[in-house]
Amino acid sequence: MALPRFEYLSPGTLDEACALLAEHGADARPMAGGTDLLLRMGRTGRAPSFVVGLRRVPGLADVRFDREHGLSIGALASLATVAAHPDVIRHYPALAQAAAATATVQIRNMGTVAGNLCNASPSADTAPPLLAHGAEVLLHRREGERRLSLSRFFRGPGRNALEPGELLREIHLPPPGERTGSDYQRISQRSQVDIAAASVAARVALDEEGICRSARLALGAVAPTPLLVDEAAALLEGRPITDEQVAAAAALAVRAARPISDVRASAAWRKKVIGVLAARALRAAVEKALAQ
Amino acid sequence: MSQNHRYVGRSLPRLDGPAKVTGRARYAGDLSLPGMLHGKLLRSPVPHARIVNIDVSRAAALPGVKAVITGRDTPGIKYGNWRLMPETQDETPLAIDKVRFIGDEVAAVAALDLDTAEEAVRLIRVEYEELPAVFDVAAALADGAPLVHDEGKLTSNVSLDRKIDYGDLDAAFAAADYVREDRFTLPPVSHAYLEPCACLAEADLEGRITIWTSTQTPYIVQCLLASTLGLRENDVRVVKPFVGGGFGGKMELRPWEFCAAFLARKTGRPVRFALTREEELATGRRRHPMRIRSKVAFRKDGTLLGKEFEVYLDGGAYNSMGPTATFLCGNFGAMLYRYPAYRYRGYHVYTNNPPAGAMRGFGAPQALFAAESQMNIAAAELGIDPIELRLKNAMVEGDEIPGVATVSSCGFVESLEQVAAMTGWKEKKGKLPPGQGIGVGCYSFISGGVFNWFNTQYEFAAVEVEAYDDGTLHLKTMASDIGQGCDTVLRQILAEETGVSIERIRLTAGDTGATPKADLGTWGSRVTLMAGNAVINAVRSIKDQLAGVIAARFDLNVIHEVAFADDRVFAKARPDRGLSFGEAVRMATRANRGRALVGRAGYTPRNKGLVTPAFSFGAQVAEVRVDVETGVVRVEKVTTAHDCGTVVNPMAVEGQLEGSIHMGLGYALCEELKMEGGRTLTSSLLDYKIAAAEDMPPSESICVPTFEAEGPFGAKEAGEGLASPTAPAIADAVHDATGFRAFDLPITPEKILRGMGRLDE
Ligand SMILES: Cc1cc2nc3c(=O)[nH]c(=O)nc-3n(C[C@H](O)[C@H](O)[C@H](O)COP(=O)(O)OP(=O)(O)OC[C@H]3O[C@@H](n4cnc5c(N)ncnc54)[C@H](O)[C@@H]3O)c2cc1C
Repeated sequence: MALPRFEYLSPGTLDEACALLAEHGADARPMAGGTDLLLRMGRTGRAPSFVVGLRRVPGLADVRFDREHGLSIGALASLATVAAHPDVIRHYPALAQAAAATATVQIRNMGTVAGNLCNASPSADTAPPLLAHGAEVLLHRREGERRLSLSRFFRGPGRNALEPGELLREIHLPPPGERTGSDYQRISQRSQVDIAAASVAARVALDEEGICRSARLALGAVAPTPLLVDEAAALLEGRPITDEQVAAAAALAVRAARPISDVRASAAWRKKVIGVLAARALRAAVEKALAQ
Repeated sequence: MSQNHRYVGRSLPRLDGPAKVTGRARYAGDLSLPGMLHGKLLRSPVPHARIVNIDVSRAAALPGVKAVITGRDTPGIKYGNWRLMPETQDETPLAIDKVRFIGDEVAAVAALDLDTAEEAVRLIRVEYEELPAVFDVAAALADGAPLVHDEGKLTSNVSLDRKIDYGDLDAAFAAADYVREDRFTLPPVSHAYLEPCACLAEADLEGRITIWTSTQTPYIVQCLLASTLGLRENDVRVVKPFVGGGFGGKMELRPWEFCAAFLARKTGRPVRFALTREEELATGRRRHPMRIRSKVAFRKDGTLLGKEFEVYLDGGAYNSMGPTATFLCGNFGAMLYRYPAYRYRGYHVYTNNPPAGAMRGFGAPQALFAAESQMNIAAAELGIDPIELRLKNAMVEGDEIPGVATVSSCGFVESLEQVAAMTGWKEKKGKLPPGQGIGVGCYSFISGGVFNWFNTQYEFAAVEVEAYDDGTLHLKTMASDIGQGCDTVLRQILAEETGVSIERIRLTAGDTGATPKADLGTWGSRVTLMAGNAVINAVRSIKDQLAGVIAARFDLNVIHEVAFADDRVFAKARPDRGLSFGEAVRMATRANRGRALVGRAGYTPRNKGLVTPAFSFGAQVAEVRVDVETGVVRVEKVTTAHDCGTVVNPMAVEGQLEGSIHMGLGYALCEELKMEGGRTLTSSLLDYKIAAAEDMPPSESICVPTFEAEGPFGAKEAGEGLASPTAPAIADAVHDATGFRAFDLPITPEKILRGMGRLDE
């Protein structure tokens, strides 16, 4: 399928990129890996007049970690880089699992985590683990930068909180903390190269006695946006995580889910398996926390 | 069976392998010619409509566009593979005044580049008057249903039916201790071959056509392209380049082949068409969706008494290969076991869905899913082990299928016994922990058809062999390697037959301008048996002459046998009395006063009943693990014991088996072209779920040794039959693991949970 005509702009700095986006407004789109953007243009036959490539902006592909500040993922860091990053694997395992489970080798080499978020698909694989890990996004424009909790970034299928002229510069995750574990569970009809029909990320932090200090449960593909189950956090925190607690949290996940029926799966099955995945993710997260 | 074969029976790597894995093999879409134009089709966006008007003026005016055609610009001659029954030929290359499915071809453009061609297609304005449409068999057969084809003699949407009756079925049901009736539903699935269809056509200065096209059937394309263009057969040359799979989806004349040739003649420039994957999935041929009702009668000791089998095929908008599927379904419904009485009713029904066609197994995967599932159900209810029940009723050599065929070689009993032994069946069936299961499915298939639906005047397969005095051979055949390996296997057979080393055999294949008439193509698992026999027949006269040369040269007593081995021709009892193959050829040529040494012959099955010269048989066991909380199935192992006669190339047979398991696994668990109002929703390989490499189970297999008298060196088919047993075996294993019995495919996690009563609606 031929792409419709557009002009490719290649700014050398972030501010230049933002200026171009501000200048052309709805006529321009930023591009990271292009694995969503270009395919959509080919499929719909509609393209913005200008595509603003971010490749030439220095430093955007970095992934940095230190115990004090946590993890920063630049806007151009690829899914493959994040999936293979030793600090991500070690301290944010759910994110590494999700990035590794996304798409194919080729797409993971081209596609970025930031693009995955900005695309704002309800089934975006990296969204639930980032939500569970309490990620924030740093949104940049010429006038300055703002920080937004990721849970406030998603606004609906394909819709996010970016303003015209604004770019996601970096994703930031808080330091992992002691005795913390996370896990990602996804289900799809085919074991690989498939969009998740439902997914769950769980993160738990325990204290010396095994009491849950904090917990997060996030769901994918079962609502118009990736979703944090706040009630599950409230339920789990302050006590040991028993089988009953896991079951109760999973039930809350089922309650929070508002899935649709589509070509991939029915709403009824999604609701059923989201509870199963939630329980599995929680148990695995607890195990990883205890192993630390 | 002789064990002294040098080539037959050897796991010879495919001769086309290196070119393919190094990327040097060129497929139709890789070809180009100077001045070539790019073609693009406009397809109907509506399922059923009258064409009121087509305005191509804006498209034609676009710079770079060289021609735009609609159905009205063409001769409008109908075509279809069933030339024997012209009333079934219901397609024109471009719609004339009506479109019948979403994707029906309406117009075509040739332009300097693909972008321009696509843009031009977008500029064509078609005014449609939409008509009521039908999207399933029930709606198509309802009173007052709109007729998909209202131009001919048909008064309903049943385009064709087929009846088979033998034995006294009513008496069988009356005498039975156990009668079971079930209904099965099979979904449309895609061939999903790696190479989407493509072709390149060129017209010479006198208007004759050469077309390079991704096809399984060069001869069929030649004949039908000639007739639709209003040309003579000899005005069209079809060349098959490397083909990236077909599985039945490339065995007809298709509109882009016609349009490429027509536009090449119109513009005087070569024209290439290449389909996108989306076009293939959304509008391409597919395996027939079917509704099957099967009623079977047993005595309580497990003896089969009879069966009634009723099949409705959703054929989509045109007949395509539907008539063959309708016929074969009836045969497959009563294969494998001895049915004293049988009644088949098959109905091929038009709907406004994209047409279904041939697909690996040709009706067998659907019929055998029903028949084999029902066998498993019956076994459970009769309290008989399913393999025991099969053994009790299994066909054996010499069994007659009344009015249809006689079973020649048959290794079915051995296949069942072997697969049971290989898997530890007795210790496992019904005894595995919850969530684990084992199941069985069996198949029989044809080694080519004997029914001449194409109504060819030629032999079904033909071969020419030319011998050179440098000790080489040139093998010419229209038989078409589309990835299944006949380029290798036919050379193995010729090498075995002549003693000439395989690397000394040059092959020209799949070119109607350079190979003898005819070959019906690659389908129905016919090539090894039919073209293989043609090779042996063709080289016989050459061998006779060479034997004569040796006898004369060495003054051999007439009772001497002359042998052909190791690139030599010699007296078998006195190997020193012989010549190199090349020297013998030179002497024969001189003796013939310069006439080149050429052998030419064919093969056509005769006196072989209505279906096939030889049946293959086999049994397969699947072992699965089901996640009973989510319904996700993991197939852990597939074990197969099958009878394909003499195995000419074990590695090639194993390749066919693994490919079949992959397709069968998809058919069982995840593949389905999802439809809504005639629209195919799963039009990308992301949404149309063929199994990933990681989903493939380990496979273990053996070939049961049999010898098929009608086959070359005793060989029969191994290409399609294996597409059938995997789905019923997996379904049976899922039942063993969960208690859920699937009556429709694919067996999604959702259906399993619902079947287990674990899904709140
Ligand atoms: C075959 C295939 C399989 C796939 N499988 C999966 C899967 O399993 N799971 C999954 O989640 N996804 C999947 N995807 C989707 C896609 O690959 C991911 O969403 C990918 O992470 C997108 O990243 P990108 O860099 O390519 O984004 P791009 O295509 O470059 O951009 C995506 C969107 O975000 C915007 N954007 C990009 N960067 C920024 C920025 N820094 N600031 C503001 N806006 C920005 C773009 O304008 C565009 O609208 C698949 C895609 C394909 C083609």
